[in-house]
This record gives sequence, C-alpha cells and structure tokens, in this order.
Amino acid sequence: MIRNKMRCVVLLLFAVAVSAQAGTITLAFNQHATQNLFQTKDAVADQISAFSLALEKDMAALSVFANAEYSAFHQTAGLDFFAADIGLDYLVPSGSKSAFYFAAGGAGAFYSDYYAGFSTVGGGLTGAFKTYLAPSSILKVQWQGTYASYADSLFDYVSQVAVISIDKYFQTRTTLKADAEYGYKYFLHPFEPEAAGALMEPAGTVLMATGGGPGGPGGHDSGSGSGNGSGWGGSHYEGGSGFIPRTGEGGAGIGHVSASFLAAQGIGDVVGLSASAMRQWIVSGENPFMSIEEFYLVPNPTSDSFSWEGGQLTGRITLSLPWSIEIKTGYTYSDKTYPGVDSMDADGLPTGVVRNDIRHLFEARLEKNFRQFTVFLTYSHVDNASTDPLFVWSGGYIMAGFQWSLSAGRKGGRS
Amino acid sequence: MRRIAWLVPIVALLAALPAAGQATAGHFYDVDKEVRFEGTVREIVLEPRYKGTAPFLVLRVEDKARAKTVTIEVSPSWFFGEDVHGGENVKGIGSLSEAPDGTVTIIARELQLRGETLTLRDKRGFPGWQGGRGRKGPKRFGGF
Repeated sequence: MIRNKMRCVVLLLFAVAVSAQAGTITLAFNQHATQNLFQTKDAVADQISAFSLALEKDMAALSVFANAEYSAFHQTAGLDFFAADIGLDYLVPSGSKSAFYFAAGGAGAFYSDYYAGFSTVGGGLTGAFKTYLAPSSILKVQWQGTYASYADSLFDYVSQVAVISIDKYFQTRTTLKADAEYGYKYFLHPFEPEAAGALMEPAGTVLMATGGGPGGPGGHDSGSGSGNGSGWGGSHYEGGSGFIPRTGEGGAGIGHVSASFLAAQGIGDVVGLSASAMRQWIVSGENPFMSIEEFYLVPNPTSDSFSWEGGQLTGRITLSLPWSIEIKTGYTYSDKTYPGVDSMDADGLPTGVVRNDIRHLFEARLEKNFRQFTVFLTYSHVDNASTDPLFVWSGGYIMAGFQWSLSAGRKGGRS
Repeated sequence: MRRIAWLVPIVALLAALPAAGQATAGHFYDVDKEVRFEGTVREIVLEPRYKGTAPFLVLRVEDKARAKTVTIEVSPSWFFGEDVHGGENVKGIGSLSEAPDGTVTIIARELQLRGETLTLRDKRGFPGWQGGRGRKGPKRFGGF
C-alpha cells in the first residue's frame, strides 16, 4: 500500500519536475545501520534504506518546493514509511540589509502496522526577519506555527516557537551568538476517555488507559498495556514501555523558554571550532503522557524539543580539506528532565521520580563533493543514562549516502 | 491513493507555472571561466540579479590577489540560511562573469568561511540551493 503511494507520488513529482523545468531536482539515497532502533536497553539492530526526491522551482521571490521520501526497514517488519511535503516560501527584501521571509507548507507521513498511530498530516507557517545591525552583527527573529493531525487523535497538536538571536563577528575571527526561544505545544485531546481497560488500537497496538500508579500501566516487561512487548516498536520488539496515555478530558499544553550561547573560532583556512551551551526551562504545564520514547528516524510526537527541561553542551570541530573533502566531529552532553513522566523500576512500576536522562553523544561526518554528486559517511555513538532503567543504553549508528542534484531546463547553471 | 489525490492539482499548478526568470545575456555560470578568490568581506547586500528571481545575497570582497574589491554573487536563499559578517575572511571558487554594464562579478560555486566549505553549485555550475529554507533533514541525532 505504502509502496504504491510512494511510487505514484515519486513518479508524479519527477514527471512534473521535468516537464515544468523545475529549478532543481535532488535525488538522494541514504543507507542507515543502527544497533538500537528503539533506543532502549533492549537493543534491536536494523538497517534502513531511504530514498528521496525533492524539487524546487523559483518564481521571482516565490519558491515552491516538494519532497517525497520512502524508508524501508530491512529486518523489523512493518515499519516502512512514506513521507512527503510541499510548500512555498517568499523572500521580501526590506532595503539592502534586511529581509522578511515567509513560508507555508503541508506535510504528511504515512506509517504502517505498529507505527500507524503516528501517521500524520499537517501544516505550518513560518515568518522571519533578518537584518544587519552592523556589517559584523546580525539580528534575527523567527516565528513558526504548526498543526498536526494524527491517525491516533491522542497526538493531535498545535504548537508555536518564537526565536530571537543576535550575533557579533570580531576581527580575531571569533563569532559570538546568543539565542532566546519561547515554545508552546498544545495537545488537543491527549487523554483516553475510559478509566480502565485495554483499548485495541486500529492498527493493532494495545494502549493502556490508566490513571497511573502502582500496578497501573504496562511496564517494561509487565505484559500489559503497550509495554506488553509489542509496544510501538514492531512485531519483533520485546522491550519498551510503549506509549501510555493518561485518562481524562480536554487538552493539555506544555511551554518552555530557552537560552543558548555559541562561540565559534576560525583557525587558518582549514579549522573551525565552536562551543555552545543551552538551557531550557518548562514554564507552563507538563507532559500529558506517562511515557516518552524516542525511535530512530520516526518522530514521536510525545518526545521532542517541547518535552524536556535541562541543559546541553556541544563542541564541534570542522576540517575543510583539499579535494573538496570535509570532516566534522562533535560531542554533545545533555541533561534532560521530562516533567510529568515518572521513571519506572525494572518491574515496570512507577517510582515517583521524574525521569531524567544524561546523554553523551559523539558524531563524525566525512563528506566528499564530486562533479555531479556528493557522498558522505556519518557515525554517531550515544551513551544514555536514565533514572528509568529501560532507557539506560548505548549504541552506534552509521549512515552513508549520496545526493545528486540536477537542474532541469537551465543551461549553464543559471539560478 | 485517495490520500495523495490532493497533490495532483498542486503539482499540476507547478507544471503550469512559467520557469523562473530568463537568463541575462552574458551572465551565467561558465565552467570555462572558473577562478579562485580570497579576501575580506567589506559589504553584504541583497541585490536583484536576475529577472524574475528573488534578490541575491551579494558580497563585496576585498580580493587579495586582485588587490581590488570584487562582487561575489552567492545565492538567493542564503540570506536566511547562513550568516556572513563584514570583516570575515572568505575564499572560494566561482565563475567570472561580466554584466551588461561591464561590472565584473564572480558567481560563487564554493565558499569557505570559518573553516567550513559551503557548496552553492555543483561542479557543472548548477545551483544546489533549494526552497523551504527552514526545512531539515531526517530526524537523527545532533546536527550532522
């Protein structure tokens, strides 16, 4: 079913791109290998092949874009998914040093089997303003609003994020940048109406409606709720607490503010260094769901930048080498607390301790540009400690890919 | 199939729309006229460069080798995507181009600044920038 959709959309986009002499067509293939697909202590290895086709067309200051992507999981059945988005954006200069930017778009992602509840369609609006306060100093303001509707309506939400940033470049080749952000996400109806009892998801996933408390939700290995071993992680997944909604009515919101600071230093023509620190606080509400899980490549609407408070430190080194080769390495330390989410013990019972994760992330990327395409290889390694033993895990991820861009109907690389 | 039916009129509209802009005579990326440049950014402006396209980010760079200020044409979308500052050292590769008014411009294909290489066009000169400037890649870890 998904493959048929993917074929139709890809063929349609490609045919239109060529016939319409679209500005740029980009074909990409990424091959992923992961040691821990569901990012819990019960590691499940897999490989994923992802194909994508993107096209873009400029009409004066207006740009129209579309993208279609299909991801196939090799070893875990039922997780293949298709995603597409389409939109337009508009750049409005305000003098020679400033500009406004507006974008509107729609997106859809269609999952099958155990992730079917995450299938979504939605739309977003973006407005931004950028200006040079001085040649060496930039001020940016951005607002982004999003609406998403899910196959499982528990996840439906609206959100908004507003960011303001200012930077300054110094003759020592140092750049300092500060950001402040406010974000708010409102789940429209995140609760199960029933007080108790197992509800069968349309896609076959069992959700446990419960008010929580000892003996309530399905735990790590309790065999109840979505933590019965099937969870959201596919037919062979044997771990995870799955997804556990609370009972209740109405909507629930969670808001945060964050501040970040970045310092970057160029050394010669080859080396770029940067260090950044970020702190986020939840200022209203808490997570309305009792559990939070991350899945590799599959966005979980309950686990994102809105769901935590804490801090993050990042350091990066970039090497720009001859023959169009670039190497990037980075390390990120994060300390995240998830308000409203209880840690569970090994038996799957709530401990009364708000879940807190400490993560060490190492990343490296090697990229080489050839005449007509780009190839790259990335490696990531994560060590995750948590107050919830289910989420004490470590694992490596490799992604290799190539990207081929071609310009349709434009001679000589015109814009 | 019904779920994606909404895409049909949209992509049909895309097909019906005219291609963006018309080439300005003598101003296009010519791989036979590629040169290297290196210098300090003295001015950053948004300028209309092609008929029917968004304004381009244009850098006035004090070129070391040429001992004069040259105009570097970057791309239309970069104004929001990347931050270039006055006083920064940049170097790169681009195609020398002469506008109808005789102004010499380098259409940048590759730009290096702060130790990073930013590829604007492929080696045939085809633009690599895309719409949806706020879009991101697949959800993975970190920023790579």
